[in-house]
Amino acid sequence: MKGTELKYDDLEGFLKGLIENKVIDALIMPHRVGNKVSYMLVREKNKIEPPASVIFAPSFGVNAANVIKGWMIDNKVGIVAKPCEIRAVIELIKLKQLNEESVLLITVDCSGAFKNEDYAEHYAEIGNLVDSAKIKELEGKGISIREACAICENRLADIGDIIIARVNGKVGVAGLTEMGVEALSAVGLLLEAKDLERKEEKERIVAEARKRLEELPKIDSVEALEEFLQDCILCKNCRDVCPVCYCKECFFDQPLGNPAGGDLLNLAELRGAIEVPANQLLYHLTRVYHVCTTCVACGACEDACPKSIPLTRFYPVLAQKVQEIFEYVPGRDVKEPLPFITYKEEELEERLR
Amino acid sequence: MEEEKGGFEPKIIGFTCNWCTYAGADLAGTSRKKYPPNIRLIRLMCSGRIDPMFVLKALLNGADGVFLGGCHPGECHYIKGNFYARRRIAALRTILKQFGLDNRVRSEWCSASEGDKFARIMKEMAEEIKQLGPNPMRDKIL
Repeated sequence: MKGTELKYDDLEGFLKGLIENKVIDALIMPHRVGNKVSYMLVREKNKIEPPASVIFAPSFGVNAANVIKGWMIDNKVGIVAKPCEIRAVIELIKLKQLNEESVLLITVDCSGAFKNEDYAEHYAEIGNLVDSAKIKELEGKGISIREACAICENRLADIGDIIIARVNGKVGVAGLTEMGVEALSAVGLLLEAKDLERKEEKERIVAEARKRLEELPKIDSVEALEEFLQDCILCKNCRDVCPVCYCKECFFDQPLGNPAGGDLLNLAELRGAIEVPANQLLYHLTRVYHVCTTCVACGACEDACPKSIPLTRFYPVLAQKVQEIFEYVPGRDVKEPLPFITYKEEELEERLR
Repeated sequence: MEEEKGGFEPKIIGFTCNWCTYAGADLAGTSRKKYPPNIRLIRLMCSGRIDPMFVLKALLNGADGVFLGGCHPGECHYIKGNFYARRRIAALRTILKQFGLDNRVRSEWCSASEGDKFARIMKEMAEEIKQLGPNPMRDKIL
């Protein structure tokens, strides 16, 4: 890959340069509101805040991909976000919910994030930038990163058009695609061959993440699933915040997926009695099937659940099992077809019966 | 219930394609092959029409088993409907496996000329589901 090394403070000039040189028409990037970190859509370059203090902030509120989902525009929008969010954008491009040409994806290294409310509450201790040692130390004090982040294997920036990596007290900026390299050149950065693979660090993260995944409580029977979902009030927040849930009309808003009135009376007659609001299991099982190949395991569903159901133990965990059988990693490559729109003539027979 | 006295008779819902498996079932019938009457067939135009929600709905509403049938791979009336179906079914069964429900879902490729095979599958499946016992969803309030 081609890239260069910058000081943390140089990032501001770089992002401003993208707008100034008309590489992009707008930029979605994190910004600070008091102790909190949320996203803003910038069109005027002087509104860009010093990025070093926000773009690496270990805070997760919404998945940035959810913000631009379905924007079929001709303009070009840059997005500075964490790997899981950029992976979701790539899935949305494949799902034809975004134009590939209308986004410039800038992925930043992530070290794991706290729920945005936890981050704001403990801002004094957490700060703008953390590393794995610091995360361990905070965990000792009872301030833990999100479960989805603890089991995340893809924390290092290695996808998108441009990556911003944290190396040795500086940042490595590199272009992964033609569009990315062009953008870097357009803001006047001198590029050289740069290796930001960081294989060893990646292996360490994967090993740690798998260990944490093993430790998660398992939902391994229908009874366990019922118990797990018993507090669900069917608000469908998990669907609304999911970056890869994109149907214009959800199956669950249609009579077939969510029977009501006479249909429900008929069902109750058949079964003797049914729980109302009805169909928690059908909703979650169908939804997990719908997102099983594209779920990027960002954990936005868990954060959004008003009943604090730890949905990370359900959606990403199940989705990963399905992704394994197709050897598919969502967001890995924009050219790789989605598993359900392709096939091999001979495959999977052992999984059918 | 008489079922409980006379042994458990499973209810199996079958989704079969119009061109192969449904015709195969027809052949089994017209050639007077005997098979257990546990299956309730629903005819679709193609196995590619099987929405995994159908399977989930059947299971959650108390079906003891779900049978999915289509043309042999490579012989789909619509060229590749069953290739897509195969991927969907494999994904769905992977999810169901977590909850021990996958062995209630079985899919087979059975052509219009395979009346024998259809009858044999029905016998096997009825036997398998009997061994498994009733779907735990059956008597639940959910």
